[in-house]
Amino acid sequence: MPTSRRTFAAAAVAALVLPLSACGSGNDDSGSSDASGKVEGDITFQTWNLKANFKPYFDGLIADFEKKYPGTHVKWIDQPAEGYADKISADAAGGTLPDVVNVSPDLVAPLAKAGLALDLDKAAAKYKKEYLAGAWASHQIPGMTGTYAFPWYLNTGPLFYNKSLFKQAGLDAGSPPRTYDELFADALQMAKKSDGKVATLANVPTIEDFGRYGVALMNKEGTAFTFNDSKGVQLLTKYKELYDAKALDPQALTATPESSGKKFLTEAVAMNPGSALDLGNFKKQAPNLYKNIGITDQITSTGHVNMYVMGVMVNSKTKHTPASVAFAHYVTDAEHQMSFAKKVAIFPSTAGSLDDPYFTKQDGTDETRVRIAAAKSLKTAVNYTPVLFSEQMKTALRNEVAKALQGKESPRSALDNAVKQCNTLLAQQG
Amino acid sequence: MALSTVSGKQISGKPKSGAPSPRRVRRQLPTSPWLFAAPGLLITGVFILYPFVSTVINSFTDRRTLIPGRFVGLANFRELLHDDMFWIGLRNSALYVLGVVPALVILPLLLALLVQKNIPGITFFRSAFYTPVVASIVVVGLIWVWLLDERGLINSLLESIGIGRVGFLSDQWLLLLSAMAVTVWKGLGYYMIIYLAALANVPRELHEAASVDGAGAVRRFLTVTVPAVRSTMVLVGALSSVAAFKVFSEVYLMAGPSGGPAGEDTTLVMLVQRTGTGLTGRVGYASALSLVVFVVTVALMLLVLRADRREET
Repeated sequence: MPTSRRTFAAAAVAALVLPLSACGSGNDDSGSSDASGKVEGDITFQTWNLKANFKPYFDGLIADFEKKYPGTHVKWIDQPAEGYADKISADAAGGTLPDVVNVSPDLVAPLAKAGLALDLDKAAAKYKKEYLAGAWASHQIPGMTGTYAFPWYLNTGPLFYNKSLFKQAGLDAGSPPRTYDELFADALQMAKKSDGKVATLANVPTIEDFGRYGVALMNKEGTAFTFNDSKGVQLLTKYKELYDAKALDPQALTATPESSGKKFLTEAVAMNPGSALDLGNFKKQAPNLYKNIGITDQITSTGHVNMYVMGVMVNSKTKHTPASVAFAHYVTDAEHQMSFAKKVAIFPSTAGSLDDPYFTKQDGTDETRVRIAAAKSLKTAVNYTPVLFSEQMKTALRNEVAKALQGKESPRSALDNAVKQCNTLLAQQG
Repeated sequence: MALSTVSGKQISGKPKSGAPSPRRVRRQLPTSPWLFAAPGLLITGVFILYPFVSTVINSFTDRRTLIPGRFVGLANFRELLHDDMFWIGLRNSALYVLGVVPALVILPLLLALLVQKNIPGITFFRSAFYTPVVASIVVVGLIWVWLLDERGLINSLLESIGIGRVGFLSDQWLLLLSAMAVTVWKGLGYYMIIYLAALANVPRELHEAASVDGAGAVRRFLTVTVPAVRSTMVLVGALSSVAAFKVFSEVYLMAGPSGGPAGEDTTLVMLVQRTGTGLTGRVGYASALSLVVFVVTVALMLLVLRADRREET
């Protein structure tokens, strides 16, 4: 059959354009917020770097759910830790966000604002009482009504310290610093005694440090940042003093959690935050350090340590709302959070779970000691990370803090600039 | 599927020699080449043309990752003129070109001259010089971070000879210089191979004639080798300047995601990545930044080619 040039051109354009049609946002597919129907259908569940270590647990959990609700099928996908936010944003923009997604509060905020997270105060209000009130509230977004994810596991890393370095600096290794004022005093002494060779800290202050120091991070309405108040300036001024005295590692301005972990392993810094999992790492990689390891609570001047909350969100565009809500609840209910907590050092967000003997009775091991201490501090912990504090805001704060530490700006001016930039970014979030 | 558009009547009117009629050739040619080119065109269209057009359109909007943009005219471009981070990025990317390109034009040529001769064991050196090219940039970056660390091998050596520790990874300028050094070290082997191919085409007689006229090694290099590989040097200059202006990995790995102390080592491409990605990414603004990178890159290429043309005339 003869092919005209026009036909060919049309075919070529169609071939070019058709694949692009898949690139459009799928936001038009409207799901239902009614979770009261029959629990059935195929749903997808996405976790955040959990497959490598917990595959049997999740395989069992999914199999049990499918058995409990015949007619459901859960496809489990796991994403690497690195670039998780980018993966979610690509899926969200492409309309391919899974039905049930493992998220943290700062990831939920933009998804909720874009109308992609199901409001659980409407769709799953009956489950609210099963969770700790603070944990349930952790996925509420300032300026919006509703709750946008089930709280999953909580964590609050302990602070490790090197007893040997403390002793060498003439400090009491049995009484590590607990407040920021004690920390500053000990750090300056450590730097002085070691002639600037041993720093106490490897990281510049983050927004959580400002929170634990007692700085008001945002106004009550959640519409503007306020961490440039006199208390914030005071904290940064003290950190500048530490940096000048080499009590804060000189490479702190470019440090990552991995690099500061290595500094602690090589005994270049005396204190570093971590988790119970790190103990095994110390035992294997730095036996000398392991012998001298001390474990204490996070430094705080408010009496409350920082709590990290993980959540499970339901995609508001899901075609199977009842099944998605039921599965998200199933993953995060008291029974399954408790069984997951026994496999890894995390803590349940369900009411009463932290009173379980597993979190209160010592058995003489280091792991249990860390677990019980963390569970105890979690009862009064606060999630100091503002839900609306984006990656761009973290970078803005970090850069301004670095300028203050280098002496390029005064602490006051650096924090004023950081707040200004963060407020601009907040306004742009809409 | 029949591709011919020729009717039986038309064919019957022509000689049966087997040679296609002019009409047949004219009507078949426009279709067949397009079909052959279709896969390539499709890939180019989807992965290059569409993203490019999309970037241009987005640069005039306030689009965010999850929020469709509104047309804002030149607002993004006006904003970047007042954005300190943009000027820092532009400065660092330009410095990278100035620091890296001369080294990558000259050093691989000298290296190629060294390994050009066919002497026993030379293959080992050729392979050794080429190894960094095939190594993963992430692995290379991490190794160099390890070496240049405050307590790393290089600082330990410097301390043992009394120089003291140097803040390669904590000083803004030393960090940028260290990243440049890694780029040069990693690129040497690649450009060396290009020069080796060019040197193989330099007539040996020219060197012999120059030697007879009493020219030494340096003189022969300047008057015979350099003019003979000049066009290759221009090519290397163009390729390395574009790559240097778009540098990301080395600086990202060595200075960290925040771009060094206070972000002072951020390059333009790092800024694009930082601004435009994530759930709250400013896609419109990042697109405007990308357009600037594109324009400067094209300008760099034109500059190098123009300089070459001027020398030729």
